[in-house]
Formats: sequence, structure tokens, C-alpha cells
Amino acid sequence: MNENLRRQIAELTAVHKGLTNIVEGDAETILSGKVPFEASADGLETISDSFELELIIPHDFPEKLPQVKETGGRIGADYDHRNSDGTLCLAVPVEQRRVFFEQPTLLGFVNRLVVPYLYGYYYWKTYGRHPFEEAPHGYKGILGHYIDTLGLRGDLDALAVICFLFEHGYRGHHQCPCGSGLRVRACHGPALRAFHEHHTPETLLSDFIAIFEICFQKYQKGELAFPQSLRLQIMRILNRLKG
Amino acid sequence: MTVDITKYSKFLEHVANEIDIPPGKYQDAVDRYKAVGRWLEEGEYPECPGDVSIYPQGSFRLGTVVRPIRNGIEASYDIDLVCEMPLRKPETTPKVLKAMVGDRLSENQTYRKMLDSEGKRCWTLEYAEQDGVGFHVDVLPAILDGGGLLSAALAITNKDGSAYSWSASDPRGYGAWFDGKNRAATARVILEQRQEIERRAPAIFASVDKVPDQLVRTPLQRAIQLMKRHRDLGFNHHARIEFAPISIIITTLAAHLYANETDVYSALSGIVGKLRAHASLVEGKPIDRSLAGMGLVQRRSDGTWYIGNPVNPDENFADRWHEDDHARARAFFGWVDVLQKDLVNILAETNPRLLNEHLGRALGASAISKHFNILIPPTPVVETPPRIHIARPAKPWRRV
Repeated sequence: MNENLRRQIAELTAVHKGLTNIVEGDAETILSGKVPFEASADGLETISDSFELELIIPHDFPEKLPQVKETGGRIGADYDHRNSDGTLCLAVPVEQRRVFFEQPTLLGFVNRLVVPYLYGYYYWKTYGRHPFEEAPHGYKGILGHYIDTLGLRGDLDALAVICFLFEHGYRGHHQCPCGSGLRVRACHGPALRAFHEHHTPETLLSDFIAIFEICFQKYQKGELAFPQSLRLQIMRILNRLKG
Repeated sequence: MTVDITKYSKFLEHVANEIDIPPGKYQDAVDRYKAVGRWLEEGEYPECPGDVSIYPQGSFRLGTVVRPIRNGIEASYDIDLVCEMPLRKPETTPKVLKAMVGDRLSENQTYRKMLDSEGKRCWTLEYAEQDGVGFHVDVLPAILDGGGLLSAALAITNKDGSAYSWSASDPRGYGAWFDGKNRAATARVILEQRQEIERRAPAIFASVDKVPDQLVRTPLQRAIQLMKRHRDLGFNHHARIEFAPISIIITTLAAHLYANETDVYSALSGIVGKLRAHASLVEGKPIDRSLAGMGLVQRRSDGTWYIGNPVNPDENFADRWHEDDHARARAFFGWVDVLQKDLVNILAETNPRLLNEHLGRALGASAISKHFNILIPPTPVVETPPRIHIARPAKPWRRV
């Protein structure tokens, strides 16, 4: 564990004092204990609750974000937003990173991602519906995140965006991948820059695979046709990945 | 839950220590008055052969110093010094004596700047604050007049407009009388307290032997300090200040009524209880026979009051008590009732917050704050969970 992580853990446990168990492994540190909180959200009730949590913090944090498990046996398989390995599915990866970068510390991670998630669970358990929006599962959730966040017309635009990010990163003077005909900086500039900044090579690749997979299936069914330029771009990317 | 007496007594002891003069400041004060003394002793006084003698009187001498409160704020310590000149009454006049001392102080560049305008009986030197603590040194010009307990009674000067007259005072006799009342208790606590003082201020006193007896405090002295502080706070308002019980009355009656109790609470509750037993005198009614026999507070047939100076029965400390429809007498016994309520009956208080508030009002919030945990150990703070407001939350998802 490096000094930065040690400090981050100290900052986290100064606020969430119940996280008292620390087990340090080679590649990750596991922090566990009770996390009581009082949480409020605009227009919704304030709740007080406490969950038993386990935070699996990779030593290359914040390059990789922690995984979280609820160990008190409250959040069961009947809850939609739990992965099969028992980790809590806080958000699609790039959105996790978007929210995380609002306060890029372990404490920010818990307060901005974990606690809102637990609030959502509490609300769902109590009222049978979710207080905030939900993302569709799997690749659809990832695709949907791009479409919603950027206000895109459809799947093909999302594919163009992820290809653009994958191939160029951020280029303000290029044509915007959304198809508006404008330059990036005059169109989706800030949003694309944010995506670019929040992505790691790993999340970029997995998002590319997710969106390409959906579009490719639609292409195979004849529901979608790739324009020539996009097709060439995809070929370049796939070749690069093979290499 | 009520307050434990042993803890409460310890608390009172600590609070009294808090409002007392700290050992370092005591040493500063002594150094300063000694310097004033040397300056006065080294003066050339025409037609005044013999040695000038300088010594402290009042609370500094008696060990009942309290850091004064003025307008609700802790103010400078008052140190009273007697400057006894080697003259007899026939050889001088009050005006000459007063000027002799004042002139000598003015000859010193430093003292001239510190000298306040001439007081009724004293010359006052105002020392600038150091670490937020200042001193006033009152220098009382006096000559030996003989008589009294130690044949040490003084003639002091009295200025009334431009006229000067003599009056009597016997600070040495009074000090000796007070020491007598305090002697057994002093012997009991002296070694223990000297060691404690040396522990607290080792740099100031090289060894236990150097810790002056002047810094040792008995339960009597502690009780007087607490009563004076309570008086200072209770009579803080300008409309009441002129009726505030004077320190010499508090000190005299407390010393008379002290029954060698071994802790501060017992001393204080004993003294206050016996003072309250005198209250029916205000209505002209008789008091308990044994107390009446002591004759400490007397009501004369003409309605006037008498509290005698123990070393000079001719001096009546209560000579103004009948004025304004016995305003000072009423104020005194009213104050004694409040003392009972604030510092004795307080043991029944069960709510720590109210206890803190009441004691803070009675003795000063800053004086009690450091020691309140003797009474009520701080309860472990119940951890309040972190409060989090959710804005722009992420949408929960699931890998397939």
C-alpha cells in the first residue's frame, strides 16, 4: 500500500469510523466494518441506516476503483443491482468514474457512490421502486449511458463516439462524432473531454466492446448499416487491438 | 444523580486556585513591590531619620487574592503596600506624609509615568499587562501610631478635597489575627501544598523551601476567595456595586466562623450557614444564642449595625449598614442566601448542563470550565453518523 492510499484510508475512516478492519493483501487492501449514515436527497426523505460493508481497494487506486460488498446479508440476489459475485453494481464504469472525479478520494467514493447506492436500496426495499434512475443491465446500460449523457440520436452515434474516443482521445478541431457536422469544440466538446478524462485504457476498451457488440448484432440482423468511414475506423481499431 | 461532595470540594479547590494569583505572577508582584520598596527606602527624606518599611497588606498579605472582575472581565490584580515612614504623629502632618511618598515616587522616571492621580489614602502605580495580567500597586503612606494587638497600629492619611486628616489602621495586627485563625489549618496543609506548588512551577521556586508560605492556601482562604469571586460577579451591576459586601467584612466574618474544617466545601458551607443564621437581625429579631454570644454582627438599640475590627474594636466595618434603609445589610444577607443556593445547595442539581450553567454564573465560566470534568467526567460522545446529501447520483447498473 502506498502512502497516498494510506492517507486516503485515514481520511475515510476518520469519517466512517466503523470501518475498522483492515486486511492488506499484495494487490488490494480490504477495509470492512459498519457504515452508518444519514442521507438526504432533494425532494426525498432523509434516512438513517447502517450497512456492513467490505471495500476491496486495489493498490492501483484510483486508476481502478474499489469494489464493494454488503456483508450483513441485507442486499440479496433479488436486488437488481448486485453482481453475481456479490459486489454492488454502483454504476456503469465510466459513470462511476464521472461521479468519482467529483471528489476523487476514497471518502468521495463512499459518500458519492456507495451511500447513494445504499439510499437507493433502502428506498427500493421500503417503497418497491427506485428513487433515482436505473441503468439497463449489461452492455445496454453502457450504450444507454453514452446516448443519454451526450443526447445522441441512436446506437450508431454512440459507436462513432466511442470509436472517436478510442482512436483520438479528445480532439477539439475534429468533426464531432455525433454527426452534427460541427467541430468537436463547438459541439460535444466539454462532454467528450470529460469522457476522455475519466476513462482509463481499460474502461475505454470495455465500453468499446460493449457498444460495438450491440451494434454488430444489430448489423448482423440487418437492423443497422455502418457508414463507410465508421466501418474503416472500426477496422483500424480492431487491427490495432489484434496487434 | 447528585454531585459527590468529595469531588465537589476538589472542584471548588481547583476553581479557587484558578482565580488566585498564579505562582509566577505572585513572584512578579513581589519583585515589583520590592523594587518600589527599595526606591522608597533609598529616598532622602528631610527631617526623617531612620528606615522606611514596606510590606504588603490586604488580600495579598492574607492569601485571599482573587483576580478581580470589572465589567464582567477579569481585570488587574490589586496589591496593597504599606509604606511606613519613620516618623511620629507630632513630627509631621498627613499632607506632608502623603506628599513625601508621592514626591519620591515621582522622582523615578518609570514610576512617574505609572503613577495615577492622587487617591484618598494611597498612591497607585499601574503596571502594564504582561501575558494579559496587569497589576495595580496601591502604596499606603503610614506612620506608626502604637497600640493595637502588636503595638503596630498605624496612622494613615485621609484626603477629603484639599483637606487631609489622620485615620487609624492596623494591617499588621489584622494579619496576625487572621494568621491565628488560620494557623492550625496552615500547619495541616503546608507541606503538601508547597510540594504541589513546586510541581506546578518548578522554574520559579528552586526548592520546596523557597515556596513562600504566602502561596499556601487553607480551606478558609479558599472559601474567602470563592465568596469574593461570587460577590464580584453578583454585584457586577453598577446599580448594586455600592452595596456589595466589602472584602474586609467577608474576610473577618469568615475567619471568625471557620471551624477548622478540612475541606473547602465544608468550610464554605459552615461559614455560609452561620452567616445565614444572622439574617433575622435585618427584621430586628433575635438570633441563635451561641451566635449572638460571639457578637460578630450586632444590631444596636438605635438600629445601627456593628461588625468590629478584631484588632481595633473601635473600628466598625458596618458603620454604613443602616444607611438607605439598611441597604447594605439587606444586600449582605440577600447575597448570603444566594451563596447558599449557588454554591452549597447546588449539590442537589442533577442535570450536568444546568450544573455547568449555574456554577459558571456563580464563579465565572472561564474559571470553572477547566475543572468541571472533576464533577462530571465527560461522557463519551455519541458518534453521530456522517450526514450526506445526495446530488447527481450515478444510476445503479449490473454486469450481465
